[in-house]
Amino acid sequence: MIRVRALRKVYRVGDEAIHALRGVDLDIGTNEMVAVMGASGSGKSTLMNIIGCLDQPTEGSYELDGQRVSHMSEAALALVRNEKIGFVFQSFELLARQTALENVELPLVYSREAGLTGGERTRRALQALERVKLSDRVTHRPSQLSGGQKQRVAIARAILNHPAILMADEPTGNLDSVTTREVMGIFQQLHAEGQTVLIVTHENEVAAFCQRVIRLRDGLVLSDLPIAEDAAGHHQG
Amino acid sequence: MNFSPYFYSQAIKLAMSQIWANRKRSLLTALGIIVGVASTTSVIAALSGLKANVLTEFESFGANRLYVFPDRPDDKPRSMYPRDKIRIKPWEVREIQASCPSLRAITPITEFGVSVASDEKELEGITVVGMWPDWHEAENRRVIAGRMFNTIDERSARQVCLLNEAAIDELRLPAEAVGSHILLDGRRFLVVGIVETLQSRMFGDGGNAAEIFIPFALAMKLQSSDIFIRITALATRTEVSEEARSEITQTMRRIRGIHPGDSDTFQVVAIDQYIQQFKAMAAGITAIAGGIVGISLLVGGIGIMNIMLVSVSERTREIGLRKAVGATPGAIMMQFLLEAMALCLAGGLVGVLIGKLLAIGMTLIPGASLQHADVPLWAVLLSFAFSAVVGLGFGFFPALKAARLDPIEALRHE
Repeated sequence: MIRVRALRKVYRVGDEAIHALRGVDLDIGTNEMVAVMGASGSGKSTLMNIIGCLDQPTEGSYELDGQRVSHMSEAALALVRNEKIGFVFQSFELLARQTALENVELPLVYSREAGLTGGERTRRALQALERVKLSDRVTHRPSQLSGGQKQRVAIARAILNHPAILMADEPTGNLDSVTTREVMGIFQQLHAEGQTVLIVTHENEVAAFCQRVIRLRDGLVLSDLPIAEDAAGHHQG
Repeated sequence: MNFSPYFYSQAIKLAMSQIWANRKRSLLTALGIIVGVASTTSVIAALSGLKANVLTEFESFGANRLYVFPDRPDDKPRSMYPRDKIRIKPWEVREIQASCPSLRAITPITEFGVSVASDEKELEGITVVGMWPDWHEAENRRVIAGRMFNTIDERSARQVCLLNEAAIDELRLPAEAVGSHILLDGRRFLVVGIVETLQSRMFGDGGNAAEIFIPFALAMKLQSSDIFIRITALATRTEVSEEARSEITQTMRRIRGIHPGDSDTFQVVAIDQYIQQFKAMAAGITAIAGGIVGISLLVGGIGIMNIMLVSVSERTREIGLRKAVGATPGAIMMQFLLEAMALCLAGGLVGVLIGKLLAIGMTLIPGASLQHADVPLWAVLLSFAFSAVVGLGFGFFPALKAARLDPIEALRHE
């Protein structure tokens, strides 16, 4: 599903070169549920941006779903994001003036799929809202929804196009512990339905919902272990 | 860039909701466009109203009419052209009549003031017009009662006259005035017919003035000296009025023995020429109004650009999100261009409506000759086209800025 080889990313700030990634190799298979962890400055965000096709590597290769996406044009990357990647953000990023349904339909605005009727769009969006158990909040606006409900709308938007990977960046960062469990439960359920999930987090409680934990430090993969071993190692370390 | 119809419908819906959500700001921003469009459309409305009026006037005059006046050339000393030399003589009129095939009717006209008296009333300084029977056709004035002059009236200089209704009123003649007698300078004239009142509204107030007509030959006899004669002629068709003009010019130059290179001692004017001149003038004023609107649209456009830049910066996170879910730079660009255009078109619409109201207001101004004022369709379409172009032009830079935003940076924007 995801195949990353010798990935490097160098930022230039003035005369200084910052090596955010120093040669990362990574494979993530279909229907895995992976947590990516690391302190700030570890290269975690850079890696996620590249995997999410929001950024391009300086060196190395990245294949997503059999397609080599490193060094694609900006417009081509936008299409890849539209069709293969679903993003969930820490602060939900819902459009305040639109209903839950309209928010979920948003990716279809930019879809290249021909001949999509209004009825079909609504049907898909409703289906996505059903999967996150929000069928009763379809016409609500974000201001009328709780934090957990907002994040579920965001998840419904992310899974609308049945993406190859569902990427969540600190999805529970703005939620309390009860709501965190509720939202992580949704991710687990989607994973159980066959969805590949990638969650960036710094909370072990969140990582504990995943099968596999990848830890980064100084632009390199520090450890890449199943959750049981990672938890054991982490506790020892 | 090919976007789906759904993209466009959503983009337009979003643009509208943005305008509505920021109503006050949108109104203030579009004010430049509104004022520009409203002022131009109303100026155009006024001009087209005036033009309609003037042209109707000319048409009722007859576009195929020509006038000949004596005229002293400007470039020569007065002493070279004494009045007697340039004065139009009756035989010259007959010569033109004989040698200009493009003319249908021609009449000399001479006017002079006399005292007029009926049994009831005496009036001083009334203008009497002497003319040939062709005058009715040339001036398009029919006889509504009685008869026209005939050639016998003219040849034998009979003391007969025609009156208009105003003259009948002023002289307190019976309504059936034909057969009555009036005194012109003490001579007894038989009223043989009544001429319809002049329909002109704009040129002279002939409709209200008393008019008395007598045969031309008699009018010549009644005047002592310094007789002024002008000519009214009618070309066979409007299309040949220019031809008729040159025929008259050539005939006059020939009979007056004017050498090639010397100036004319007369002037031939075709109404058609006036119409062209007026049209050119109206087009000129329209062009100037267009220039003024260009400036106000420019000012309006800068306002649009400013507010679009504000909008891009306010909605940076939204742009980031849209990019994350698959919006290409082109799609973002199109979105903001559509928004700028929607703002401008909304301004243009309000402007056109205000212009239309102003035009309706104009038609209600009494005596302003603007009763035909209306915003023509082309002005409406042009206003919208201009508004759209302003939106496109001034929305371009903000839209480009939005399209170029880095999605990662945009999503991090506070």
